[in-house]
Amino acid sequence: MNRPPPERIVDARYLEPPEPFVRTMEMLDTLQPGESMMLLLFREPHPLYRVLRQNGHDYETALQDDGTFEILIRR
Amino acid sequence: MQALLSFDKAPPFAAPLRFFLTAPIFAMAAGLLLAWSGGEMLASRWMPSLLAAVHLLTIGFMLQIMLGATIQILPVVAGANLARPMRVALWLHGGLSTGALLLAAGFWFGQPALLSAAAVALGLSTFAFLGAAGRALSGVPSTSPTIRGLKLALAGLAGAVLLGAMLALALARGWPLPVMAMADLHVGWALGAWGGTLLAAMAYVVVPMFQLTPGYPARPSWWFPGLLMALAVAWGLAIASDSTGAARVAQGGMALVGMAFAALTLRLQRQRRRARADATYRYWQLGLYCAIFALFQALTATILPQLADWAGWSLVFGILMIVGAFMSFIIGMLYKIVPFLAWLHLQNAGCTPAPAMNKLLPDASMVRQWQAHVLALVLLLGAVVVPDFLARLAGIALTVAAGGLFYNLLSIVQRYRAYLEAAKAK
Repeated sequence: MNRPPPERIVDARYLEPPEPFVRTMEMLDTLQPGESMMLLLFREPHPLYRVLRQNGHDYETALQDDGTFEILIRR
Repeated sequence: MQALLSFDKAPPFAAPLRFFLTAPIFAMAAGLLLAWSGGEMLASRWMPSLLAAVHLLTIGFMLQIMLGATIQILPVVAGANLARPMRVALWLHGGLSTGALLLAAGFWFGQPALLSAAAVALGLSTFAFLGAAGRALSGVPSTSPTIRGLKLALAGLAGAVLLGAMLALALARGWPLPVMAMADLHVGWALGAWGGTLLAAMAYVVVPMFQLTPGYPARPSWWFPGLLMALAVAWGLAIASDSTGAARVAQGGMALVGMAFAALTLRLQRQRRRARADATYRYWQLGLYCAIFALFQALTATILPQLADWAGWSLVFGILMIVGAFMSFIIGMLYKIVPFLAWLHLQNAGCTPAPAMNKLLPDASMVRQWQAHVLALVLLLGAVVVPDFLARLAGIALTVAAGGLFYNLLSIVQRYRAYLEAAKAK
C-alpha cells in the first residue's frame, strides 16, 4: 500500500464520531482525481465505505499490529 | 454534509429502542421477585424462584439489549444489512419478551407446560433471528476481528439457546439428562461463548471510540473469540463423553481467556485520552473488576471443586458476572449508544444543528443511576452472607437502579421527541 504524504493522512484514532467521517469527507473534497489520502482509525468504518462506493472512490484497508486500520482512499 | 452523514441503511430508531426500553422493566421485575421472596431465594443456585429472577435478567434484560443492539450495529460494524430490520425487531422483541415471561413463570410456579412453551418461544425467535442475521452476514468477509467475533458469537448464541431449551424441556418432561453438568455448560455458552465473544467483538470498536483509548492489538483480537469458542466446544464434548477432568480444564481455560481480555481492556483504559470519568467509563471499570473476580472464582473452583460446594460460591459468581459485569457493560454502552442514535436520527430528520449529546441526557443523571447500581450490587453480595437481613433490601435496590435506567432512557426519548417537534414547527 503506497502511503500518501503526511498532509494527506487523517489520523482520527482519538476522535469521537462523527469527526473522523467529517474530516475524511473534507479532505476528499480537496483531492484531484487520481490522488489519494489515508485515514487511520481503530475500527473499520463501514458507513464511510458505503459513501465511498456510492461516490465511486476506491479504497483499500490494512490492519496493523497495534490495532490501527489504515484506509487508503483514491479519488 | 447532511446527506453524507445520513446512514441510509440504519434501521429506524424504534427498532432497537423497543428492546432498550423493555429491558429495564424485566430487571425491575427480577428485583421485585427478590424483594417478594426474601432470603429463601438465595438458599441455593437451584431455587426455582432464583432461576426465575436470573432468567428475567439474562433473557429479559441482557439478551433483549444484546440482540436489539445487534440489529442496529450489523450495518455499522460489519456492513451487513438485515433485509427488514423493523419487522425482525417486532417479532424478535415479541418472542423474547414472551419467552422470558413464560420461562420465569414456569420456574416460579413450577409449571412444566410453561417451561415447554418458553423453550419453544425462545428457541423459535432466536433461531429465526439467527437465520436473518446469518443471511445478512453471508458473503461478508471477516476483514476485522469484530466481524469474526460477531459471527462466532452468533454460533455461541445458538449453542446457549439449544442447551437452555434442552434443559427446560428436560425439567418439564423428566428427560434423563445430566441436568447439573449441562446447566454449567449452558452458563459457559451463554456468558462465555455468546456473551463474552459478543462483548469482545463490540469492545474492539466501542472502547477506543467512546473512551478514547488505544486500539486493541490485532493479534490477540483475532485469537480471543476463536479460542473462547474452541474451549466452549471442548467443554461440551467433555460433558458428552462424561469426562469431568477435561470439562474442568476447558472451563478453567475459558476463565483464563476472559481474565486476559478484561486485564487488556483495563490496560487500554489506563491509557485513555479523556481525563473525565464519565458514566460509561465508571460502568466499564466496575464491570471489568467484577468479571476478573468472578472468573478468578471460576478458575479456583476448577482446581478446588469443593469450594463450589458452598451454596454462596455460585451465587457470588452469578451476581458478580450478571449484575456486576454484564449489566454494567451493557448499561455503560447504552449511555453512549442511545444518545448517539437520538442525535443521529435528529440530524437525519433535518434538526440541524442537532443538540449536543449531553443535552439529551446529562452525565449527572447517569452517574446517579450508576451509584444506585453499585449499591444494588453491594447489597446483593451482602445478601448472600446475611440473606435474612439484606435480600429484600437488595431486591428493592435492584428495582430502584433498573427503574433509574428506565427513567433515564425514557427522558432521552422525550427530549428527542421535543427537538423533533420543534424542528417540524420551524
